[in-house]
Amino acid sequence: MSESIYYFLQQIANGLTIGSTYALIAIGYTMVYGIIGMINFAHGEVYMIGTYVAFIALAGLSMLGIDNPFLLIGIALAVSIVVASAYGFSIERVAYRPLRSSKRLIALISAIGMSIFLQNYIRLAQGSRDIAMPSMIKGGFLFGSPEGSHIMISYMQVIIMVTTVLCMVGLTLFITRSRMGRACRACAQDIGMTNLLGINSNNVIAVTFIIGASLAAVAGMLLGLYYGVVNPYIGFIAGLKAFTAAVLGGIGSIPGAMLGGLILGVSESLTGGYLTAEYKDVVAFSLLILILLFMPQGILGKPEVEKI
Amino acid sequence: MKSIVKKTLIGMSVSAALMGTSLAQADIKIALAGPVSGPVAQYGDMQFIGAEMAIEQINKKGGVNGEKLVGIKYDDACDPKQAVAVANKIVNDDIKFVVGHLCSSSTQPATDIYEDEGIVMVTAASTNPDITLQGYQLIFRTIGLDSLQGPVAGRFVADSIKPKRMAVIHDKQQYGEGIATAVKKTVEESGVDVVMFEGITAGDKDFSALVAKLKRNNVDFVYYGGYHPELGLILRQSAELGLDAQFMGPEGVGNKDISAIAGEASEGLLVTLPPSFELDPKNKGLVDAFEKKNQDPSGPFVMPAYAAVQVMADSMKATGSTDAEEVAEYMHKASFTTPIGDVKYDEKGDLTSFNFVVYNWHADGTKSPAK
Amino acid sequence: MSRVTSAFVAALITLILGGFLLGLSLTSEGINLVVGPSTPGKITFLFVGVAIVFVLQYFREHVGRFTTHMRSDQRMELPSFLRSSQQQRIWTMFVIIGLLLFPFLSSRGAVDIATLTLIYVMLGLGLNVVVGLAGLLDLGYVGFYAVGAYTYALLNMYFGVSFWVALPIAGGLAALFGFLLGFPVLRLRGDYLAIVTLGFGEIIRILLNNWTDLTGGPNGIARIPKPTLFGLEFSRRPSEEGATTFHEFFGISYSSEYKVIFLYLMALLLVLLTVYVIRRLIRMPIGRAWEALREDEIACRALGLNPTMIKLGAFTIGASFAGFAGSFFAARQGFISPESFTFIESAIILAIVVLGGMGSQLGVILAAIAMTVLPELAREFDEYRMLLFGLMMVLMMIWRPQGLLPMKRPHMELKRD
Repeated sequence: MSESIYYFLQQIANGLTIGSTYALIAIGYTMVYGIIGMINFAHGEVYMIGTYVAFIALAGLSMLGIDNPFLLIGIALAVSIVVASAYGFSIERVAYRPLRSSKRLIALISAIGMSIFLQNYIRLAQGSRDIAMPSMIKGGFLFGSPEGSHIMISYMQVIIMVTTVLCMVGLTLFITRSRMGRACRACAQDIGMTNLLGINSNNVIAVTFIIGASLAAVAGMLLGLYYGVVNPYIGFIAGLKAFTAAVLGGIGSIPGAMLGGLILGVSESLTGGYLTAEYKDVVAFSLLILILLFMPQGILGKPEVEKI
Repeated sequence: MKSIVKKTLIGMSVSAALMGTSLAQADIKIALAGPVSGPVAQYGDMQFIGAEMAIEQINKKGGVNGEKLVGIKYDDACDPKQAVAVANKIVNDDIKFVVGHLCSSSTQPATDIYEDEGIVMVTAASTNPDITLQGYQLIFRTIGLDSLQGPVAGRFVADSIKPKRMAVIHDKQQYGEGIATAVKKTVEESGVDVVMFEGITAGDKDFSALVAKLKRNNVDFVYYGGYHPELGLILRQSAELGLDAQFMGPEGVGNKDISAIAGEASEGLLVTLPPSFELDPKNKGLVDAFEKKNQDPSGPFVMPAYAAVQVMADSMKATGSTDAEEVAEYMHKASFTTPIGDVKYDEKGDLTSFNFVVYNWHADGTKSPAK
Repeated sequence: MSRVTSAFVAALITLILGGFLLGLSLTSEGINLVVGPSTPGKITFLFVGVAIVFVLQYFREHVGRFTTHMRSDQRMELPSFLRSSQQQRIWTMFVIIGLLLFPFLSSRGAVDIATLTLIYVMLGLGLNVVVGLAGLLDLGYVGFYAVGAYTYALLNMYFGVSFWVALPIAGGLAALFGFLLGFPVLRLRGDYLAIVTLGFGEIIRILLNNWTDLTGGPNGIARIPKPTLFGLEFSRRPSEEGATTFHEFFGISYSSEYKVIFLYLMALLLVLLTVYVIRRLIRMPIGRAWEALREDEIACRALGLNPTMIKLGAFTIGASFAGFAGSFFAARQGFISPESFTFIESAIILAIVVLGGMGSQLGVILAAIAMTVLPELAREFDEYRMLLFGLMMVLMMIWRPQGLLPMKRPHMELKRD
């Protein structure tokens, strides 16, 4: 294989890694939008909080003398999921539930307010500096000749991609097979009717927020380990990118979120690899605008019929 | 309703006026402008403790021309919009001497006002060359320029490293891009081949695309203009993706956190830093004074801020005047002995010399001079 | 669940929410990350918070009654002496005279802050047309503000265009940008529109930052001159040979305050003009159509209104006010760089509109004043400013989505005596 193909594949692999994490965060947007039709603007902040809690747990556990990396990561992940879920649940309870019958604009402004509030709450509580964590999992796979052209994929990149796929499979099974999953789908169709059939839609919505927050916490943990840095501002841009991914794939559709995330990740990585990294965000946002103009329902989404 | 506005605003102006008069008229007021709040407040602190220490020590020795110096803090939060408001307030409060501001983007809009209103300003932290390029008479600094640091780094690279294929990366910010451009210019003059010159987005976390590109271009030396969080991540991802190159950065990357982010990968990083003034034996007494107050004298802006106050005070003593234009004129001519060494100004108000030293960074967050 | 259990659960969740992030703090020790208890202040705050949640949840019914009371459509009425239109006119005259005299009675710093406030009033009024009247959530409003500021700065830098020539161009160019962006995206539904405009605002900022050859990139543009009065400069010495300065022309001694006062008066004039224009627009068919569209798009279509054109009108007009405000900002600062035009700025302008009551001009003006003057009065408050903005946006939407001073349609009232 020629060198340029190796380079291309390397960029694709890098793009798939970033794309996987966008997809994990995008699930939160897409599920909430699918069920109550609002953009949970504060979802990116839940991801940021997930990373902070993971770091706190990792630092705390290693200070207690636990040094088995699997145990360490496992416990930290559990703690992070619990706390992030509590945030997801409380955000819905405090900022969105009272507004469920209001107009979309009202709920969206409340969500933006929540996002600004959480970001600044963390800034005041933990400081605005970057908090860094040394890398725990080192090394990677090498394809090709070590001296000449090759592709290098680190273990951490593999872990990110595999975890994402596992989460997606698990979530799809949950939605299609479980009783709660069926209730979720029912709510997405018609909340009023679901209530009439004796399903408490408030519980379903709460579960949706908790699932979204848990996946955001998983993404926070993975990216925290991968990049090793957290600050209060990472949630905003990550949330925006993930939302773009959700819209790209068709908001409301779970496979769409996965697809959208991967497309976005790869296109960013190719922009960085073949053009210049400073226009990465411009490409991401332009992609969003173009998709919305020409395919407002996204790649895998269903066209929405406006009901009167 | 608008009457409420008016009342509030009049109330404000009255309180501002009261604040102005509550100080004894005989004191010489020095405004200390910089971020008290906001994300870079920690750097503002360095400037404030340095300046306050200088004021305290000068007063202890009898003040200036028999009058006491009084430092008054003004908060610009490193926001250009608030910097203009602060500058106007300083004019209002009839203060003729300013130490500040911190961020170049705040200093720049404020200089216009100071020059116009006859106020002497000495910044201890803003390194952007543009600030003194406007032909101002009253604007000075006690810190080296980005355009000085770049050539130092560039000459070191050209003379000691002699890379075959070099890349220059920057973060598209005022500071980083300025230094990166200066480095590129210097090394190219010495015949070093710069194969990549590219910007990244500050605050970004993923640089795998960039690292792959560096690898593809067979780069053996990377100069990065910017701050530590991004370079830390680039180093970390380079190590993971198997890029084997030597890295170098300006003082903005010389922060302990870079070792925490990059771990082992930060070993051997080259950094240009101002000499550590706190290690200079001549400053022993001063360092003790800081430590007695439980303050850290090692911040990069502490000693320059001290020097800024001292230079102004010395000039006031020498001219026996507190007239801004006279003091500034003297500052342009004279030379001063300060904790940052001998200070002498060129006609732009920049230091005629400010040393940068190349250090080897280590994975435990320490540094040692590079040969 | 009994009251005690539910209160207990709520308090427990609060403890989980705050325990990790407020109670513990991460610090770097050397290159290692360590975690320890945070400051006593934060921990006290945490437990006070938990206690409050417990009590509120326990007395939930009482609290509920109180909040319903808050939520009810009680308006903050204007004081009685302001109700009739004639009295309103008299009072308005008084206020305008007061505002005109204000700079001569107060200090330079206060006048400067007042100018900044007026810029925000203009931005708030402009965004109010888009968000408050037409109901289009625009999160990239700062993009048009940047277009206005850079139009003046660049025209001046490259062609020496004066402020007064640049001002209409800045407004026009921002309007053009609004038109060009609005044309394709206004077909989108409300929440998509919000995200697209957000992306657009970011794109403008990134382009300004990256296009170093034209805009100076992150270095920004320095030495932007202040406006002149019919060609009379307010500087100590004329910038070119043969020109006359303001103080020479009138034979008075030079004072730098004239410049600041002049800028304030010009900003005031422009704000009054903005208020007047928007007041007229609201009463015109297009203004009515904006509100009709906000309330029910489908009904509007059924009545034969063209939603895209009406939205486009609001978007373009709103953008042009941002353009005017932008060139004033450039003149006041004398230096602009892309970092003055981040998303946070959009969020602050949006907060002004939301707090003021969407659609209400008076409310927006008061909110803009509160947002800029309060942080100046209490600097310690600045740390918490964004936190409180966010909290306020949520609480306002829950309790008073119509804002503190909601808009009132002009209507006739019978005298009752």
